[in-house]
Amino acid sequence: MGNNIMRRWPALMPVAISVLLYAFTVIVQPSALNWTAVTSIVMLTLLLSFASAGQTLVLIGGGMDFTVGAVMSASAILTAAIMNSQDGRFLPAFGAVMVMSVAIGLLNGVCTVKIGLPPLIVTMAISNVVSRLQYILTQGSPLGYASPAFIRTVTSQLFGVVPSLTLYALVLFPLMFYILNRSRLGHQVYLVGNNPVAARLNGIGVNKVVILTYVISAVFSGFTGMLGAAYMQSAKCQMFDEYAYNSLIAVIVGGTALTGGVGTYTGTIAGALLMVVLNNTLTTPALQLTPPMRNILLGLVMVLLLILYNRGKAVRQ
Amino acid sequence: MLEMRAIDKRFDAVVALKGARLNSSPGEIRALLGSNGSGKSTMIKVLAGLVAPNGGLILLDGKRAAIHSGVDSRKLGIATAFQDLSLIPTMSVTENILLGNEPLRAGGFVDKKKARQTIRELLDRFHIDCDPEAYVQTLTPSTQTMLEVAKAVSLNPRMLLLDEVTAALHYDEIQVLFQILRELKAQGLAIVYVTHRMKEVFEICDTATIMRSGETVIDAPVPELTLDDIVYYMTGQRPEVAASASEMDVAQEGETVVDVRDLEVYPKVWGISLKAYKGEIVGIGGLQGQGQPEFIRALLGAEKVATGSIDFCGRKLSLKSPADAVRMEIGFVSGERGREAMFPLRTVQENITAGKVAKGNVGEYMTPKSLRAFANQAVDKYNIKIGELRDPASSLSGGNQQKLVIARWIAMNPVLLLLDDPTRGVDVHSRREIHKILRQCTDEGMTVIISSSDNEELLDISDRIYVFYEGSVSDVLSGEGKTADRLVAAMMGMGAANQKGGDQ
Repeated sequence: MGNNIMRRWPALMPVAISVLLYAFTVIVQPSALNWTAVTSIVMLTLLLSFASAGQTLVLIGGGMDFTVGAVMSASAILTAAIMNSQDGRFLPAFGAVMVMSVAIGLLNGVCTVKIGLPPLIVTMAISNVVSRLQYILTQGSPLGYASPAFIRTVTSQLFGVVPSLTLYALVLFPLMFYILNRSRLGHQVYLVGNNPVAARLNGIGVNKVVILTYVISAVFSGFTGMLGAAYMQSAKCQMFDEYAYNSLIAVIVGGTALTGGVGTYTGTIAGALLMVVLNNTLTTPALQLTPPMRNILLGLVMVLLLILYNRGKAVRQ
Repeated sequence: MLEMRAIDKRFDAVVALKGARLNSSPGEIRALLGSNGSGKSTMIKVLAGLVAPNGGLILLDGKRAAIHSGVDSRKLGIATAFQDLSLIPTMSVTENILLGNEPLRAGGFVDKKKARQTIRELLDRFHIDCDPEAYVQTLTPSTQTMLEVAKAVSLNPRMLLLDEVTAALHYDEIQVLFQILRELKAQGLAIVYVTHRMKEVFEICDTATIMRSGETVIDAPVPELTLDDIVYYMTGQRPEVAASASEMDVAQEGETVVDVRDLEVYPKVWGISLKAYKGEIVGIGGLQGQGQPEFIRALLGAEKVATGSIDFCGRKLSLKSPADAVRMEIGFVSGERGREAMFPLRTVQENITAGKVAKGNVGEYMTPKSLRAFANQAVDKYNIKIGELRDPASSLSGGNQQKLVIARWIAMNPVLLLLDDPTRGVDVHSRREIHKILRQCTDEGMTVIISSSDNEELLDISDRIYVFYEGSVSDVLSGEGKTADRLVAAMMGMGAANQKGGDQ
């Protein structure tokens, strides 16, 4: 029964844990309860869930995309360099980012499909190349800032309270919902992830579907990188690298199976929330955790969560 | 020397052996014969220590022998060459042959020099032309099979079991093998030889043990048996004399939907021609592994066609993938539900709509309503017993899963439906329903090509039956000629098409 609820609403548990964690933070440090903190959690959650959208698709299709972080960083550098603090350059920047993203996505997909190496290895290698390229092209010190207007679309407060980044969610969330749950591609991705052999014999172009998931993932990462550049205002090499791990963990914590075939985007959003809240808790000054301690605790909590999820699955079968 | 008495073996509900017996004496090559599922492979596996019998007695030199494992079997001097090869693909030829039997120097080191010499002698003896250091996976299937036999012989056994080893061998390799078997026989080895090729039985075997449905039907010296006798004991039916070859091209009414000419699919299909007409159910029969799955998958674009042509509705068909075939209105139902058809983690609805989902533009909007309606209709029309559409497909029984897979395609109303042994492991009731559904569809103009391991099913449902034997068509049965006896004879390679070469 409990399993059934968890399967139908995979977002439930991460959201519940997030609420408990935040409550705990507020208890140890009452000053943590303020609107700025909440706004910051919301914004970081949104950024991570945008970055994890494509990752969700890739994982459901049975793959894994480790280039999310590198693509975001490269996109942020491109955005800052092209905009160079000037308004009216959104479209050129967007165009450049999309070309780069599609190219990297294609590379990921084609290499995974054709070389037949595990996707983790392929995308890690490509991610490394993309990271090195950032240094080569910028001499290690990227120039420029995102344009002021673009920055405003990300960081201003609507009606003085709601972060304007939410407006992007109003477009991206439904878009992802459409891709995953309403388009033919989404249905095919689930089938391919669950049983690629059967999917192929059923007439699904398995390779095409897999390549498309990587392209979509890179496009989402690229666009999130642009938003990231606006959020941080300027860009540094490898500035968003941690999003590779974080997106992966957010997706898995959100109930998507590493083996493919199962998963939801709402789960991923909840997973992203949990990641951000957990990080927020661990950085609470009152806990006086040193950065290494924080990392160890973060790791332990992740292991715990993954064990919880895997047990849920075993009971079901 | 060896005697197996009253051997019983059950795999859950399936009875593989009931009171089977087998004798083997030194200096004798004994054929162990039977059709698919008669239990001969199980007998071999009992002797090899891979299968523990539920009952019965194994006597070696009059003493009770306890075979609990492969090691026990080897210690008793029994060596086995398996049909599905026991070689390790990622190890070299030398390592494979000497595995567990390495010549040792003092201190437990492998004596490399001696090993090399042993291997060279062995390879020479078997006329195997390969690098002893080559990885087994790089060798052709026939060389691998020869190695499998060489490995068994290299153990210097008292008794040698060969399970359908010639299936993958070429003619000259078989001659080499037979020469070696004769030498071994002269040295006093007891040899048990499992094969489907009747010619080989008469060529090399001294005695024969024939099994049917897990029981030993007869033990007899080979010279006392005729081909007809063997078929009779294997099937319980006397084969008719095959009809004249002219009956192979029975004129059919209606338009040709599929016209396959001289199709070859490496390494299993050797020059198959087949025609299917609109509204017809074409059956494909034969023993296991005669090229049926490869042939059907070639029509689907899932196997690469080496030579030959496929015409579909008057146009030449060249498929790169099953997706191409589906675009051409061809559907495929696999009998291997778990591996090739079901999506167990996905819902019943998604499993039913998988065919609909497969076909079309990937960006297209698929309304939940239309998908649900499609699934509901299929469930009602084909009488699939489900809980709810959103339950996981793994919640359905085997028979209903298979009905679901068939409904998935039939609801798409394809021009041609390919089915590869679709009723394997399906209960009688569901099977009958599946037959009814197929018949309905052909009445409405669909063309069906169905392979089956069940003869009764083939005779029941097919308008015509192509019988495959070693990758070619040994006979085509239709109308009056569609009899169980003739089907069985053709499965043994004694069909109209093989009359010239296949007689005796």
